[in-house]
Amino acid sequence: MRIEDLQVAFSTEEGPVEALDGVELTIHQGTFHGLIGETGCGKSVTGQTIMGLLDNNARIKKGRIMYREQDLLKLSSRQMERQIRGNEIAMIFQDPGSSLNPLFTIKNQIEEAIKMYRPVPRERREGLILEALQQVKLPDARNLMHRYPHQLSGGMKQRVMIAMMLACNPRLLIADEPTTALDVSIQAQFIKVLKDLKDNLDLTILYITHDLAVISELCDYVSVMYAGRIVENLSMYDLFRDPCHPYTEKLVNSVLGVSTRLDQLEEIPGSVPRLINPPPGCRFHPRCSEVLPVCSQEVPLLKEVKGLHSVACHRR
Amino acid sequence: MNKWGYVGKRLLKTIPIIIGVTLVTFLILHLSPGDPVRIMLGPYATPETVAALRAQYGLDQPLPLQYFSWLGNIAQGDLGTSIRYNRPVTELVQARIGITLTLTLAGLVISVTLGSILGILAALKQNSWLDYLCTFQAMFWISIPGFWLAILLLYIFGLQLRWVPIAGLSGFASVILPALTIGLQEEAWFARPMRAEMLGVLNEGYIKAARAKGVRYYRVVGKHALRNVMVPMITMLALRLPWVIAGSVVVEVVFAWGGMGSLLVNSVLARDYPVVQGILLIIALSVVLANLLADLVYSLIDPRIRVEGGKK
Ligand SMILES: Nc1ncnc2c1ncn2[C@@H]1O[C@H](COP(=O)(O)OP(=O)(O)OP(=O)(O)O)[C@@H](O)[C@H]1O
Ligand code: SF4
Ligand SMILES: [Mg+2]
Repeated sequence: MRIEDLQVAFSTEEGPVEALDGVELTIHQGTFHGLIGETGCGKSVTGQTIMGLLDNNARIKKGRIMYREQDLLKLSSRQMERQIRGNEIAMIFQDPGSSLNPLFTIKNQIEEAIKMYRPVPRERREGLILEALQQVKLPDARNLMHRYPHQLSGGMKQRVMIAMMLACNPRLLIADEPTTALDVSIQAQFIKVLKDLKDNLDLTILYITHDLAVISELCDYVSVMYAGRIVENLSMYDLFRDPCHPYTEKLVNSVLGVSTRLDQLEEIPGSVPRLINPPPGCRFHPRCSEVLPVCSQEVPLLKEVKGLHSVACHRR
Repeated sequence: MNKWGYVGKRLLKTIPIIIGVTLVTFLILHLSPGDPVRIMLGPYATPETVAALRAQYGLDQPLPLQYFSWLGNIAQGDLGTSIRYNRPVTELVQARIGITLTLTLAGLVISVTLGSILGILAALKQNSWLDYLCTFQAMFWISIPGFWLAILLLYIFGLQLRWVPIAGLSGFASVILPALTIGLQEEAWFARPMRAEMLGVLNEGYIKAARAKGVRYYRVVGKHALRNVMVPMITMLALRLPWVIAGSVVVEVVFAWGGMGSLLVNSVLARDYPVVQGILLIIALSVVLANLLADLVYSLIDPRIRVEGGKK
């Protein structure tokens, strides 16, 4: 999948919010691709745009999302529904609590995914549902599937969501902070589950998170996002060895320090810019320690450093 | 099981409500001015005749005693005897209740179906001309008085176009206009909340998640969204029931149907206590019953209600 120059704006009462401003991103088949950035930088919006499930007040101003030789943004909503969502690309949304319908059992909701893409007789469906739940290491799946969402904990719901989306059997799974509601030990277990999946299925994942530690364990490639733009694409190896963008450097350094969570990060001075009226030029320039005069004038474009490593910064 | 515990609890809760209903029905009439016996006998009756008749109907007894004997009779299925017709109230009601029931149910079916469809369409096409049209027609039907709408429909479809009979009861065709009058007036009360609830539910995360699975949009609306708006819509239904019954009273009179509505209106004018009481009690109890049913239906739809043992 290749995302090119994607621009998305939301119309709000305070004016237009330029949530994505030229996102460039390539996800290679069979890899786990991390998307990292501070809160509000547009990670979830990127995922929702790929799915064609943006909120009503959103407008895609520009760009292409190339997936298997076709531009997803050019497909009709009917084509997205029949051909793409579910069996090609599925997404786990950020808020697991509200992603399950409170009025239907877990079984009913997973079955819905299976019915559509795997024409198996009714008797075998139950087996597939069990399998899906066991895949994410949910205990006592046989009883659990007859329960309703409100009878499960946040972590369990999150795992049910993952099971449900995996049951669609997608080629690409977009996972938007799938571990936020899990405690640390379960998180570790969960990452192991994903790693197993990676070895066993031909699955590509776009993994959205704040958490560099999770990404470093799981991903092959990383895209660093800042205020609606991708500032650096690089491999996991380069992330710790050779980060180029000042923002990426700060991120990595802060992780190597005490705090491992980006949302607790204090090392980078200043705050996340508001996207309603973003700083001109490089959006990071008010916080950058290496700022040049040109930085507030011109938007830095992504430039190749070597191979698959690219960075958007006037200094490099 | 859990479900039956909830049903039992809910049933127990209706007992005080029913007692309250009977008490209010009883008091409203007995404390309001106007003496039925005097109305019956006319202005020239002697005090002795008045006293005798009063004793015959038990109206000379103290109020609490009257209440308990009335209650005792109701328990045996005896709603008393009409002062005006000199026939058992149950008999009078039995002859007419079918008409009122037909009208109320037909009105409800029309209003709920029409209101739900328009409300859902308006929500799906938010801010389109369809949405505005839906709002406009709802305001329109709500703002015109019921009897006037009834007369208007009668004039157009009965007198001018001659599609349906003008008055009285003669088969299915004669039900159409009265039911339509009630249906149109009430429809607005279902279309507006349906639109609002639907818009809220369509913004929920589980709608997006269901779509992310690739579930077709019409199915997402028909299954995931619709089921979630059903609880508030059933509340609305139970809330509107008394109004639908009141509407059918008016409509019945306009269309000259001899239903419970006409009986009630005439009995009020004649101060025919037992009949008025009986009808009010039946209406009140049917509303209580409808609310009870609504609560039980919620618990079937929403598993969270069963567990908490109360409403959301
Ligand atoms: N429906 C919407 N209307 C208006 N603005 C929106 C809407 N959805 C998102 N935004 C804005 O778009 C920007 C990006 O939001 P997004 O949810 O993608 O952030 P994020 O990177 O996922 O953050 P987090 O890590 O907190 O999930 C934010 O500034 C947000 O305020
Ligand atoms: S472009 Fe300039 S302001 Fe932006 S990161 Fe590079 S040096 Fe800093
Ligand atoms: Mg997000």
